[in-house]
Amino acid sequence: MLSRDAEHLYWLSRYVERVENTARLVNVNSELMLDFPGDKSLGWQSIIGALDNLDIYSRRYITFKEANVINFIAFEQANPSSINNCLIKAAYNIKETRDYLPASSIEQIHNLLNQFKNIKDKKKKLSSVDLHRLTEGSQRFFGIINDNFSTGYPFEFIRMGRFMERADMISRILDTLCLSARLNQTHDFETLEWASMLRNLSAQEAYREESKGEIERGSVLKFLIQNKGFPRSITTCLGQIENCVSLLPNNKLMKNEIIKTLNKSFVKNIERYDDSQLHNFLQDLQIRLCNLDQRIHRSWFFLHH
Amino acid sequence: MNWHEYCIDICVAISINDYQTSPFFDEYLNSAKSFRPHTKKIGKYLTSLKNKDLNEINNATESAIKSMGISFRVYSEEFIEGQDRSWPLDFIPRIIRKKEWDKVEKGLKQRVKALNLFIEDCYNEQKFMKDSDMEESLILDSPAFKEYCIGMKLKHNSWAGICGSDLIKDKDGIFYVLEDNLRVPSGVSYMLENRTVMKRVFPELFQHYGVMPVSAYPDRLYEMLVSMSHTRSKQPEIVLLTPGIYNSAYFEHSYLAKQMGIDIVQGEDLVVLKDKCVYKKTIEGLIRVDVIYRRIDDDFLDPSAGNKDSMLGVEGLIDSWRNKKVSIINAPGCGIADDKAVYAYVPDMIRYFLKEEPLLNNLPTLLMTNKENQSIVSKKFKEFVIKPVAESGGYGIVIGKSASTEVKEKTIKQIKKDPRNFIAQPLALLSTSPTYDKGLVEPRHLDLRPFILSGASTYVTVGGLTRVALKKGSTVVNSSQGGGSKDTWIVEK
Repeated sequence: MLSRDAEHLYWLSRYVERVENTARLVNVNSELMLDFPGDKSLGWQSIIGALDNLDIYSRRYITFKEANVINFIAFEQANPSSINNCLIKAAYNIKETRDYLPASSIEQIHNLLNQFKNIKDKKKKLSSVDLHRLTEGSQRFFGIINDNFSTGYPFEFIRMGRFMERADMISRILDTLCLSARLNQTHDFETLEWASMLRNLSAQEAYREESKGEIERGSVLKFLIQNKGFPRSITTCLGQIENCVSLLPNNKLMKNEIIKTLNKSFVKNIERYDDSQLHNFLQDLQIRLCNLDQRIHRSWFFLHH
Repeated sequence: MNWHEYCIDICVAISINDYQTSPFFDEYLNSAKSFRPHTKKIGKYLTSLKNKDLNEINNATESAIKSMGISFRVYSEEFIEGQDRSWPLDFIPRIIRKKEWDKVEKGLKQRVKALNLFIEDCYNEQKFMKDSDMEESLILDSPAFKEYCIGMKLKHNSWAGICGSDLIKDKDGIFYVLEDNLRVPSGVSYMLENRTVMKRVFPELFQHYGVMPVSAYPDRLYEMLVSMSHTRSKQPEIVLLTPGIYNSAYFEHSYLAKQMGIDIVQGEDLVVLKDKCVYKKTIEGLIRVDVIYRRIDDDFLDPSAGNKDSMLGVEGLIDSWRNKKVSIINAPGCGIADDKAVYAYVPDMIRYFLKEEPLLNNLPTLLMTNKENQSIVSKKFKEFVIKPVAESGGYGIVIGKSASTEVKEKTIKQIKKDPRNFIAQPLALLSTSPTYDKGLVEPRHLDLRPFILSGASTYVTVGGLTRVALKKGSTVVNSSQGGGSKDTWIVEK
């Protein structure tokens, strides 16, 4: 398989997954803010922080008003990870790899892009219905891929891209919201916030089933980081990546690193980590994920000559 | 007009178009308006169909093409997904007797052999231009002449591994060669797909007609590419080099690569290392490439040898080719023989290099470098077609008969200014075949593009791609300008 094709598939998948996660993040935060009394701008600022866009954002806007933040996340040209830019890049990557993919998956991406263009052209505010559609549309894309695509190298690059993106996003969301001690909130609100975190990762039901108890910081953390069955826990994502890597050729560079990362993420007593310990843990994970991405590029995409 | 009327009214249909003084050769009907022996059977079948049936068949054809995704793109169009045009196929086949085709096949092989010898001669001894009346400047000053090819001798003498020659039938019913496309000829995938569609639409006809199959082409192409490899391996690494998904012929690139089971690559996928070998970048690492079936123009092959601004090329590719580390098909520099002025000399080449008489006719061609010819053309402008020598796709052609005075004067001026760049040919009267057009069956003009493969052995497609001008009276068959196509049947009887 050509490196260029593999790279296009990997990024196609990352961008589609990013659309899904971003849309869900915005949606959940909008709902949360309805329950939050007083100035909501800190709540929105943390979303921009989670998406690692504070620099670019503050060049455009001074305050963190909801309308500005949503506009920035959805449409902003200068934001490389705006939903609009992600969809455009997904469409570009799918054009280059159309020979590999089921026709219906290509159609699905174009539908998503066209729907979104309509919203953008009408200068409408992104509604919660629109956000739902984006989430569902991205999931449908992966559904088509999983149901209609034979396994093999192309499939593994799609899978790897998806879980790299997901692991990255989970660690960002956790990191940002765990710093929310800054908000100095009441106990009630903290519970709300942990619940919304679970919703961010559509983990609420799975969590309840597993823990049977109230929503509480330690067990939520353990669930989202280390649960073995839940598809949006960090260790599940890393496990999926490890499986992809083992099925690909030329995987020496990646193999050790992904196993190391996986072992690190199974640290003991994570539920008892305080905010600063957790922050350090997640920062370390972020660096490791970055490192993994670079190794993916070095192993399969960029060749030295 | 239904089929009965077509048979009766063909002369009427012709007399009302622009060419009333010149009778065309019709592929189905003779001058007495009855079916030719080899079209009788299908003629009988088709005349038994009602208009409603014809419409149904046409719809079935169109939907088969759509569902198979057979498409093409016109150059100037921006890339918009879902806006590729469906390939236009007329469901009434063009039929040629095998006996007649056998002669054409021989003629094509002879022609391409001579062309290949000529190209090698141009880059080596240059005997032909010394021994014939061909002016040296015709070759040496041509932009298609590549200095980096000088001294190169190729395996099997094969510069043009793939040639697509355009044939027409003039009013005498005899095939003439209109031009030879030696650079990156396209269209063969449509020949193959036309047959697939026709088999779906007319399975019963194929059972009774004895139509010779065309499907061997991808295998023969693969064999030819293998035979051009410098390595001894029986399975050399072959890639198809495309300019990318925005190219008008991308459908064909992708189709042929899939049929042959080879990778379709772009310039950035290849790299030439210090050992001067070409490698493709894969997830398993670098893999050495032995043969490149290129579908990009000479100037975009290698930025260090051609177009310096090109993003498409592979740095060092030409050097690698010169060192016989990689085979490139068609070879760089072979466009020198794909020039309408050089075309005029092909019969002489056949006599010179093969000591044989040409089996296929050339159209009489007047070189404008000759002052006498210039004055003939300006006096009898209406009788000629003026063609720029280096254009393809039907662009830049002036048909004297339908040109305005303004165009005429402009053309004559251009010829005087740059005579090397133009030739003139008497207006050929392209043959016609019944063709479906919006519920009617009417005569439309045709040509034929067979493909000739030259490697260790030579192969000619069984028939080729028949192109048809869908507009009434038009002789422009290019798909980019409103042309369509037909399945081409070579039949025993």
